[in-house]
Amino acid sequence: MSRSSYLKPDTVALHTGYVPEGEYGSRAVPVYQTTSYVFESVSEGSSLFNVEQGGHIYSRISNPTVAVLEQRIAALEGGSGAICTASGMSALFMTFITLCSAGDHIVSATQIYGSTATLLKHTIKRLGIDCSFVPVNDKQALRDAIRDNTKMVFCESIGNPGLEISDIPGISAIAHEFGIPLVVDATFATPCLCRPIDHGADVVVHSVTKWMGGHGVAIGGVVVDGGRFDWQQSGRFPELTEPYAPFHGIRFWEEFGPSALVMKMRAESMRDLGASMSPQNAFLILQGIETLSLRMKQHVSNAKALLGWLQQQDAVTWTNYPELESNTSHRLAATLFPHGAGSMLCFGVTGGRKGGAAFIDALELSSNLANVGDARTLVLHPASTTHSRLTVEDMQAAGISPDMIRVSVGIEDIDDIRADFARGFKAAQRVAGAA
Amino acid sequence: MYLEVRGEKTYAATGGRDFDKSLPTVMFVHGSGLDHRSWALQTRWFAYNGYSVLAPDLPGHSLSGGEALNSIEEMGAWLADFIDASGADKVHAVGHSQGFLDVLELALRAPQKLKSITGIGTAGAIPVNPALIEAAQKSAGAAAEMLLMWGFGPDAQYGISAVPGMQPIAIGREIMARNPLHADLVACAEYKNGSAAAKAIEVPSQMILARKDRLTPLKAGLAFAEELGARVTIIERYGHMLPIEAPRQTLQKLRELIGSLENTD
Repeated sequence: MSRSSYLKPDTVALHTGYVPEGEYGSRAVPVYQTTSYVFESVSEGSSLFNVEQGGHIYSRISNPTVAVLEQRIAALEGGSGAICTASGMSALFMTFITLCSAGDHIVSATQIYGSTATLLKHTIKRLGIDCSFVPVNDKQALRDAIRDNTKMVFCESIGNPGLEISDIPGISAIAHEFGIPLVVDATFATPCLCRPIDHGADVVVHSVTKWMGGHGVAIGGVVVDGGRFDWQQSGRFPELTEPYAPFHGIRFWEEFGPSALVMKMRAESMRDLGASMSPQNAFLILQGIETLSLRMKQHVSNAKALLGWLQQQDAVTWTNYPELESNTSHRLAATLFPHGAGSMLCFGVTGGRKGGAAFIDALELSSNLANVGDARTLVLHPASTTHSRLTVEDMQAAGISPDMIRVSVGIEDIDDIRADFARGFKAAQRVAGAA
Repeated sequence: MYLEVRGEKTYAATGGRDFDKSLPTVMFVHGSGLDHRSWALQTRWFAYNGYSVLAPDLPGHSLSGGEALNSIEEMGAWLADFIDASGADKVHAVGHSQGFLDVLELALRAPQKLKSITGIGTAGAIPVNPALIEAAQKSAGAAAEMLLMWGFGPDAQYGISAVPGMQPIAIGREIMARNPLHADLVACAEYKNGSAAAKAIEVPSQMILARKDRLTPLKAGLAFAEELGARVTIIERYGHMLPIEAPRQTLQKLRELIGSLENTD
C-alpha cells in the first residue's frame, strides 16, 4: 500500500494527482501550457507569494501538469512530496545545493554514474563543497569519511554501470547515527522494484527520462522528500531550521516539518536556478508512468532471459547482473529487489575493445546510444562514452573495463533481441579471430 | 515561538510574524496526534492580515515538551494556562476534531477568554473505535495509517494537494507517528461534556463540516451545531481533514466569522 492513500501502487501510477476537472471533464491529465496564472485580486496574489495559501504563480516554480507528476511520483516512492526538474542531473544538483553550502562535505559511493561523479568531484568543488568517495557498502570506509561538516551520504540503489546494489538499510543506519540524511539515486530501480524510503533513505532522486518515462521522448528529473528525517534534531541544517531571510524569516522545519526539504527547494532552488520541467515533458512522462509496472515486469523478464542466454555464448567473456553470485552484492539484490534487480546488465565480449566495437556496430535492432530505460533495447560502450571523462583509475574504481558492453534490456520479443545479439557476436568473433 | 506553560517549553506557531498581544488573536488547536502544521494554510493569512496567531503544539506533541495530557478536561485547562502564558486577553478559538473538544472544555472553564469559537470537522463527542485505540497503543504509525485513510476524503486519496507536489496523507502520517496518538484517542473517546459546554457557551460559534467526513460524520456535527446554536457550513467533496484538504474554503469561513466580529472583513 502507498503511504499516501489506500490505493495500491498500480492504481497510483494511473490516477494519483489528478481527478477529472473543469468544464470538459478531461480524463487524461491536461497539459497546462502556460507560463503564469491570473490572480483573482492583488490580495490573492500577495497571499500566494507569501505562502499563505497553496497554488501556482509562475511555471518556473510550479505548474499544474508538473504537479500531477510530482504528486504521483511522491506517492509511488512513499514520500511526503516531490519536485520535478528539467533533468536528472538538475535534480541531483538541486539536492546537493539545498543541503550543502560552501565549506560543507558529502560522502558518496564510488560506483556511480560518470556525470554525477564529475558533478561531485569537480563542479560543486568550485562552489566550496568537498566530496569524499568510498567503495559502496564499505561501512568502515563510510564511517571514517564522515566529518563534522558532512551534510549527506549519497549512493545509487543500483550502481551505474557496475550494477552494485547499495545496502540502503546499512548505509542509512550509519548516516543516521551521525545525524546525516541518505540520498539515493534510484533511477535504475524505479519504485516498482525498490522503494529506498522503505529501507531507510531520506531523499530519493530519479532521472525520470529513463524507465519512469520509458519511451525515450522526454528529459526530466525528480527529487522525493521521504519526510522522515528530523532536520532539527540533526543540528547540521540551519538552512532548514533557522530563519530564511528571502521569505520573511520563515523556518522551513517549524512551518512544514515532513515536507521542509521540498518546500525549501521550491522556494529557493526552483526560484533561483530555474531548472523546471516543461509541462509537455511532464505529460509525456505521465504517459510512461501509467504503464511502468507492466513494462518493468517485461524489462526484468527479458533481462534475465537474455542473461541466461549470454552466459552460454562463446563470444561472451564475462557477465554481470546484480542477482548473479559473481556480483558482490547479490545477497542484497535478493533482499531489496524481490521482483528483480532491474533490466541493466553488462558483459565482456571477445576481442576486447575492438571486439566490443564490432559487436555494437553489427547490431540492427538494438540502439547504440547514451541513454537507458527506453522500452527499446539500448547498448553502449561506457569506456568510450559516458565514463570517458574519468581517469583510468577512476574508471576501475567505478567498475568499468575497456571491454564492457552495457545493455539496457528492452521489452521487445526476447527471441528478436537474442537474434540481434547473435549477429553482433559473429562480428566480434571475426575481429577476435583476425587478431 | 516558544513560551513556558506550567514549567514546560511549549511551541506555538505564530503564522510567520511575531506575536503581538495588542492585535485580535486567533488560536488554532490541532486534532489527535497532529500539530500546528495542520493550520499552515490558515495561520499565515491571519498573521499577515491584522491578527495575531497562536497555534500551539499540545504538551508532548511535535515541538512542545512535557507529557501528553490524558483527558479533554486537562487539555481545556491547559489551553487556559497557555492563553495566560501568551499574554493574550481573549481569543477567537478554532479547533479541528479533538481540538474543538479542547475548545469546548476551555469554554466551560474560562469563558471570559473567548471571543468566538469555531469547530472544524468535529462534533460534541468523538467516539473512537476500540480497535483503533488498541492499534495506537501498539504503534502510533500503524494507527495513523488507519486514521488517515479514513480521515482524508476522496480527492486526497487520489493524491490531490492544495500545495503543489505534496502528499498530505504521507505528511500527516509522519507527524502522527511521532506523537502521542493513543493518549489523544482515549481522551476523545472518554469525553462526555459536549452538551454541557453547548449550554454554557454564549460567544458566537460556527461549525465547518465536511460532507464526506467518515471520522466525525456530518450527522453528528449537525446535531451538535443545533445544540450549540452555531452557524453551519457544509463543505462538499472533502473529508475530516478540512484545514488541509480544503484550506481555502476553511480559511474563507474563518475570515467571514472572525472578520465580522472584528469588523475587518
